[in-house]
Amino acid sequence: MDSTSLSARLRSIVGGSSVRRSPDTKPAREDAVQSGAHRLGAPAEEILGGEWCRRDGLSCFVVDRRFEPTAQHGHDRVEALGTRLTAAFSQAALILELTDSAGAIQPPMVFFDLETTGLSGGAGTLAFLVGCGWFADDGAFVTRQFVLLRHADERELLMMVGHELARAGVLVSFNGKSFDAPLIETRHLFHRLPWGLCRLPHLDVLHSARRFWGDSTGSGCSLAVLETQVLGARRSGDVPGPDIPARYFEFVHTGDAGPLAEILWHNRLDLLSLAGLTSRLLDLVRGGPATARDAGEALALGRLYARCGLTLRAEEAYELAFAAGSALVRRDAARALALLCRRARRWDDAAAFWQELLATPSCPPHFAREANQALAVHHEHRVRDLATAKAFALASLGSSPRTPHQPASAWTRAVRHRLGRIERKLGNSQVSRLNFDSRVET
Amino acid sequence: MPAWTKPATDALATRSGLLNGGRDGALDAALDRLAPDRAIHRTDTPDLRVTAVRRLPPVSADHAPFPEALDSRLVNALRARGISQLYTHQARAIELALAGKHVVVTTPTASGKTLCYNAPVLDAVLQDRSSRALYLFPTKALAQDQLAELHALVETISSSSGEAVGVFTYDGDTPQDARRAIRARAQLVLSNPDMVHAGILPHHPRWAKLFENLRYVVIDELHAYRGVFGSHFCNVLRRLQRICRHYGSSPLFLCSSATIANPRELAERLTGQPVEVVEQSGAPRGEKLFFFVNPPVVNSQLGIRRSCLAETRRVASEFLQRNLQLIVFAQSRLATEILTTYLKDDFEDLPGGAERIRGYRGGYLPLRRREIEKGLREGSVRAVVSTNALELGIDIGALDVAVMAGYPGTVAATWQRAGRAGRRAGKSAAVLVATSAPLDQFIIRNPSYFFERSPEHALIDPDNLHILVDHVKCAAFELPFDGSEAFGAHDLHAILDILAEQGILHRADGNASPRSGDGPAEEGIDAVWTWTSESYPANAVSLRSVSSDNFVVIDESDQARVIGETDFNSGTATLHPKAIYIVEGTLYQVERLDFDGRKAFVRAIDCDYYTDAITYTRVSILETFAEAAVPNTGHEPFFAHGEVHVVTRVVGFKKIKFYTNENVGSGELDLPEQQMHTTSCWLTVPSPLMTTLPFALDDRRDGVVGLAFAMQQVAQLLLMCDRHDIGISIDTERSPRESSGASPMDSMNGSDGGFSGRIFVYDNYPGGIGFSEPLFRMRRELLEKTRELIAECQCENGCPGCVGPVGNTGPLAKAAALAILDRLLAAAFEG
Repeated sequence: MDSTSLSARLRSIVGGSSVRRSPDTKPAREDAVQSGAHRLGAPAEEILGGEWCRRDGLSCFVVDRRFEPTAQHGHDRVEALGTRLTAAFSQAALILELTDSAGAIQPPMVFFDLETTGLSGGAGTLAFLVGCGWFADDGAFVTRQFVLLRHADERELLMMVGHELARAGVLVSFNGKSFDAPLIETRHLFHRLPWGLCRLPHLDVLHSARRFWGDSTGSGCSLAVLETQVLGARRSGDVPGPDIPARYFEFVHTGDAGPLAEILWHNRLDLLSLAGLTSRLLDLVRGGPATARDAGEALALGRLYARCGLTLRAEEAYELAFAAGSALVRRDAARALALLCRRARRWDDAAAFWQELLATPSCPPHFAREANQALAVHHEHRVRDLATAKAFALASLGSSPRTPHQPASAWTRAVRHRLGRIERKLGNSQVSRLNFDSRVET
Repeated sequence: MPAWTKPATDALATRSGLLNGGRDGALDAALDRLAPDRAIHRTDTPDLRVTAVRRLPPVSADHAPFPEALDSRLVNALRARGISQLYTHQARAIELALAGKHVVVTTPTASGKTLCYNAPVLDAVLQDRSSRALYLFPTKALAQDQLAELHALVETISSSSGEAVGVFTYDGDTPQDARRAIRARAQLVLSNPDMVHAGILPHHPRWAKLFENLRYVVIDELHAYRGVFGSHFCNVLRRLQRICRHYGSSPLFLCSSATIANPRELAERLTGQPVEVVEQSGAPRGEKLFFFVNPPVVNSQLGIRRSCLAETRRVASEFLQRNLQLIVFAQSRLATEILTTYLKDDFEDLPGGAERIRGYRGGYLPLRRREIEKGLREGSVRAVVSTNALELGIDIGALDVAVMAGYPGTVAATWQRAGRAGRRAGKSAAVLVATSAPLDQFIIRNPSYFFERSPEHALIDPDNLHILVDHVKCAAFELPFDGSEAFGAHDLHAILDILAEQGILHRADGNASPRSGDGPAEEGIDAVWTWTSESYPANAVSLRSVSSDNFVVIDESDQARVIGETDFNSGTATLHPKAIYIVEGTLYQVERLDFDGRKAFVRAIDCDYYTDAITYTRVSILETFAEAAVPNTGHEPFFAHGEVHVVTRVVGFKKIKFYTNENVGSGELDLPEQQMHTTSCWLTVPSPLMTTLPFALDDRRDGVVGLAFAMQQVAQLLLMCDRHDIGISIDTERSPRESSGASPMDSMNGSDGGFSGRIFVYDNYPGGIGFSEPLFRMRRELLEKTRELIAECQCENGCPGCVGPVGNTGPLAKAAALAILDRLLAAAFEG
């Protein structure tokens, strides 16, 4: 086959399966960092405003920026975010559940976020931008972005990033445990570079965010939603995440770095918001329930303290959540308190919270069942009020739902067993009484 | 001629015969019922019901010592397992592997082929614990089967020498949370081509340890990799070796194959490496009898024979009655279900309780399949009716008899299926029952053609552009291409550049920055092509079919549950509304086909018929690659090959009554059509030749239809392909200039540019799979063999054994077809 007809056949084969996507690229937005639209055909270095950074014989294109201490990000100034973060730094150990070696974590905290050529993973997915951020001594938030301008430079980029992150005491990311860290690990494996950063403590704020704010945002737990709802920050004209790979490919194919400038800005804002959320989170953990903005935060704090074995602080947080929360939060707080009291062998307190749990509107069947069962035990063995115990046992049978996960029969058998025992105890006292009576009569 | 093909003259009382007197006696009794005239002394008698009997005498073992170099810990473990010496072929294969040669072993079923590759692999792992091996099986089930065997061997090694060897399967069923551990710990990874393609190669950085230390790649059932699957697989191996080069390893390939004509060629083509062949088996074999059975003619005028399924049922019953364990191979899923129903009707109500008769085919859920395999090994299942799904080496133990309902289509597959029955000692039998299809009739009436013929060549076309481009994409995702690499037979740079043009790849030249490389650098030798797409290309490529789609079958009789699946291509033909769908003899009717959702909803039904879809096919020529003209005439070329556009649509169905095969109704369907571009050969009967035929117009057309019917069978025979690999379509409507509008009659009555017949034989796969060009080269043989098939048939006016049943064609189809062939052959090759 000659080359023209080969090309023609190839086009008919390839063309059918894919259409080259041309992203809707707007000129770079003006913002604090970006100084207006770029010159057409200007080199990437100029458009992105960075420089080739050289170190130990390696070189990599790096963009350094600062968010000044006085700059506003949502409700707060950048320096305030930094101050609170520094003050509450040690609390990160609680979130990381490093309870036995609390204090083992070292500053600085380095925030990191990748921009990648896709979400599918595998050898063909690259991180073309590695963004790092930290608070400087003067209160500014400093970002350093490693940008992959040429595919061939990836190895050097990874080595430079390794140097940069190696000085961190704690890595902080948003969904980094599931996405960013495995991806960058794969890139290291690809280049057969050692990947040592898995040894650093890694705080994935997404996990905490789900616990603290997942229920209250009502619209998911993305960084963009949290940034608005928790930090009060707004961005306009941001690059939608799904467009990012296509913009990078556009740069690769045309050499025009214009589409990248907005991605860099997007990444920097992500880093700043990540730092803001972390600051808020650690401050909350340090300040305790009194500093909680709502009962949901107090409940999440209670759970965090409880996981770390800080029972008193947990109880305090739960009580606040119980007192101030919506039906949903009250319900969870009541159950948490009941379990906490039971574990502390404060039986009467536990019973009271089980009662509270039953009293909350729309208490779900599996909670009701648990509460009724606990109360049946309580009345059978401690209060020794068999009639009430029987009533609760019967109620737990009634509230037993048809859950597919727990075979109804096992549950029912356990309750029937208890009921039988209670009946026997009830019967015994009656029978003995009868016997007594009959003996008297004979 | 191999020794066993001579009629045997010795007595039957072999040593094993005495030892296994009960079972051998029962087998003899059953075979006597089939051919009462002292079967094994017979010569071929094509006119009888049993047309041929062959006896394969028992073969004794040929042993060899363990090669010196083999690790003593392994040798001790083998001894502990009762293997005190090797068969000669095992020793030879192991020696070759230890000497660093790629090997393919082609000895028969149950000759101990697995040790040929397990021994070198375990030797390597024992010598160097970092060594790794990758085993590839065509199916997940085979990998599971081998896992059990390897585990047993590895446990013996571990208990006798304390060396632990990590053996794991890694396939679609491996839980996500176990995968990381397997990547770290597995020294032997048992997988399949699909998993390597979509799960391992695209994630090669995570498998770096495997690829850095990969000593051996074991390819079991090599012969399974032909046609489309083989062409894809070849590209997967190209990608695998490319990744190995990246990690600095170059593994040896150890292959095993059923008997095919070209094991070396296939292995070398697939792996791209020089390969040594080991084919002389040292394993012992019990005596085997091979019977050819032709169902009797029930209507000699119409040439109609008793149905193959009914005859198979009778044959199988003879064995079942005598409590012999057997496997029955049917040609299709439908035939499998029908035969299962028949045999269950006959035998299942006997005392014994558990299901003794089982069906087995692709589309059954894995759990059901494992249960049936176990039943066969343990003997609780006495008969299994299977499609070719059990042709591969799944361990079902040694059975007494293999019955084939219809010629499997190739010599290789026939031996493979016959091999599922057979013991190291003691007798076994294989029975081939012919259908009335021309190919079957040809084979059954000419037994020596089969017994003396070498098995087929396995053909692949890894450079089919559709397939190649798909894998170039996958390879580019895995590692950027540089200008010095080669991949496939076509100009790789051209392919990469087209992909770059589409934005899927980016080409960077030399060390210059990407935007300054406008002019092509020296033939792209310094160029690098990198992947610039968000997609994960392996997910878009299925190795086994045109589309990775399938239909699931959901039974709504009681609670909705999935009872089976069907690949996308046959979905509309088997799951159209009102179709009867059969699973192990239970009938379901399709109530609704959700084409877009790929779901068919069925309900159990009690009825006495099954359905057969009517498919309409239209082919149009896109480009002619080569053509052959009748010499010394101005006639248009009579034979050509090139690229075509094929449209197929299921337009209706027939209802066919069980047992009697009466057509008891039909229905029309409105289903989406399927289209593809592929390669094809086509025969054009020149219109001057057509017009001079001494037949009426309708009869001439019947002649073309009959000719096509016979030609398809012969093409299949010549190409050694599966029935579904080629499609056939007739175009008698003619001619390019007067296509639409005019009825066929109008155009035929026109000038001499009017009517001519055209028969397409196309590759049933988008882009073609390499059959058309060889068939074009074999055109003379194709026409001569077709003529032979028709001329030698005993029927008067055509029958299912030559030009098709009279009902389908006309009374003069046979004569017209012969006349066309005679004139064509005379003009084209003798004129």
